[in-house]
Amino acid sequence: MSVDKEESVKKLFTAESAKVDTNKGDAYYNELYISCQKRIEDLRKLAPLNNRPDFTESIEDQGLERRDFLKWASATTAMLMLPASFTPLVADAAVLMNRVPVIWVELSDCAGNSEALLRSDGPKIDEIVLDIISLEFHETLQAASGHQAEKQMNEAMEHFKGKYLLFVEGAVPLGMNGNYGTIGATGETFVDHLHRAAEGAAAVVAVGSCATYGGIPAAAPNPTDSVGVMDVVKGKPIINIPACPANPSNMVGVILHFVLTGTIPELDSLLRPKFAFGYRIHDNCERRAHFDAGEYVEEWGDEGAKNNFCLYKVGCKGPMTFNNCSIIRYNEGVNWPIGVGRGCIGCSEPDFWDKYAYERPMANANIKAPTGGVEKTVDEFGLGLLTAAGVGIAIHAAASAVAGKKEADEKEDGGEY
Amino acid sequence: MSMKEGYKRVRRMTPAMRIIHWVNVFSMIVAVATGLYIAAPYYQTFMADDAVDKYVMAWNRWGHFMVAIIFDVTSIIIAYLFFFSRFEKPWRKVIPTWKNMKEFFEVFLNLVTLNRRKKFDSTHSDSFNSVYFLIFHLLLGWMLLTGLQMYVHGLASGESSIGAWWPWMLHAVTDWTQVASSWMVGSTATGANIMDVRISHHLTMWLVIVWVVFHIYYQVWRTIFWKEGDISIVIGGDKFVKTDKEA
Ligand code: HEM
Ligand code: SF4
Ligand code: SF4
Repeated sequence: MSVDKEESVKKLFTAESAKVDTNKGDAYYNELYISCQKRIEDLRKLAPLNNRPDFTESIEDQGLERRDFLKWASATTAMLMLPASFTPLVADAAVLMNRVPVIWVELSDCAGNSEALLRSDGPKIDEIVLDIISLEFHETLQAASGHQAEKQMNEAMEHFKGKYLLFVEGAVPLGMNGNYGTIGATGETFVDHLHRAAEGAAAVVAVGSCATYGGIPAAAPNPTDSVGVMDVVKGKPIINIPACPANPSNMVGVILHFVLTGTIPELDSLLRPKFAFGYRIHDNCERRAHFDAGEYVEEWGDEGAKNNFCLYKVGCKGPMTFNNCSIIRYNEGVNWPIGVGRGCIGCSEPDFWDKYAYERPMANANIKAPTGGVEKTVDEFGLGLLTAAGVGIAIHAAASAVAGKKEADEKEDGGEY
Repeated sequence: MSMKEGYKRVRRMTPAMRIIHWVNVFSMIVAVATGLYIAAPYYQTFMADDAVDKYVMAWNRWGHFMVAIIFDVTSIIIAYLFFFSRFEKPWRKVIPTWKNMKEFFEVFLNLVTLNRRKKFDSTHSDSFNSVYFLIFHLLLGWMLLTGLQMYVHGLASGESSIGAWWPWMLHAVTDWTQVASSWMVGSTATGANIMDVRISHHLTMWLVIVWVVFHIYYQVWRTIFWKEGDISIVIGGDKFVKTDKEA
């Protein structure tokens, strides 16, 4: 348990409210536009890193048209909460993404975020964009291994010092001096690996809930003492993109924002970009009308399920979850969990495995005490307490009645009524 | 009014206090009934109706939030009266002075000795009751803060029908309950979340219910055993005390 309470309290109080400011006024955007334009000019002068493919070519290779690309650019501009006039800049930035070096390290993870980044049912623009980013190092994706891989990483870190974005996937186990996870031929622990990689990064991006909060490795009883990146890396800009897996659109969004403005997007108190995590699932859910109406799926596959009723009673945690998948969905807008008829399990929230991911309403759930592993429900506990109080009262009442009667009898005997 | 001989009437609650009491009773019943529905909708609506015609969850939430606002306002009044009432000074009874602790203990002994021992002045609100009510108001205060924290996230745009100051203020006043709830519920992750607030809100409901059950029992018990008509304090505002005790 290395949750730094003081730190998080401070963060909560210093964070601006979760308010999503979608209109900051013309003056702001005009200035931003000019600075973005300048940045893009500067980037254009740089050569693509490591002979990365040219974006326009990759698009054509995949049989997509420029029109599709522009459509994507305008949707992405909206997602980033920029005015429509920024669309050409966003398109330019996408083309120039091969100028920004990215190093990707994997720690305690399942590579699900790498999978999300690579796979979809067909090549979509988000994926192509991620294809052309200058991924200098990615253990799982590269051919090199062992000493060779280490050498490659060291070179990349040296060469792009202070410029690269470090993407981290997976939790950081701190238990047993970090020896629950080691990497490479030298047996470097994950913690040391992370520290070393973060050292020269321009910013650190934690992708997925494990890298953000510790996620599943940190689930009760957290045997490896896993934590998220923000607990380990200090003194660097950190951007969290939680969810299980993180939505590739949000990864692209963060990189694009960086390419476009040279800065990190506006963050909430958990360091998540507001453009993605400023929304509550429940407030943008297509089943919300059924929630308000009181129409619920009572059991999987029932009449309600066939009618797309709200999934609250089968455990949807949309009301307590902040993410934009109810808006942008997954796989380039094809669908999302609630769309396919299963509830939200709060995958983008801290502690989601222990506190969100049971497919029942909270009132019927066995919530594991995160530190103990004792199963008990809130209501059972409450009812138990109530029963105890009731029994106590009953005993007291009975005793009082008996005592009162005796007293009365005594008084009668004494004849002093 | 006819009164038993040897008794005198003592004023204990002003009309305002009694109104607040019964408003609280009503609000509490509504809050529990609707809160439990929000937690796990326990009755069904008819499939045949169109979604637009029924609004069952929405009405439950509406009711819950309405009584919540009533609780908010009465809490402010009560907090004010707690310190500044000219009628009674409850705060004087909860500070742990020697005298108060002794009285607290005596009242407690009175309860557990089943009224065999009664060595305190029951004319005025005693220390035990004052502390017990303070606990209630702390629990209610926690319900308010956690409730408003959950509520404000429904106003994600930062706007509300009464202006942007309202969600802004709610964030400023209640955001800390996330951290506090995570600490209470226990967490292995980095960062606090709103689920913990919800769990805490739900659990505190049970504490409040337990509080209410004992409260009702104890007031009735006092009425029966002390024979001073304590229960009528909350109705007519008065109780009766033996005059010989005063003498
Ligand atoms: C003592 C009085 C109260 C009781 C007994 C009570 C009870 C409950 C219960 C049982 C729930 C369901 C939690 C769950 O999902 O398990 C709930 C939800 C909620 N309560 Fe309360 N509550 C009280 C006061 C308040 C107050 C003062 C507020 C302030 C606004 C409030 C706001 C809420 C909100 C926002 C929810 C979540 C509803 C939703 O997101 O749809 N409650 N309450
Ligand atoms: S399915 Fe989930 S997110 Fe959608 S309305 Fe129902 S509870 Fe809310
Ligand atoms: S619906 Fe919920 S659980 Fe599913 S991806 Fe979105 S945030 Fe995660």
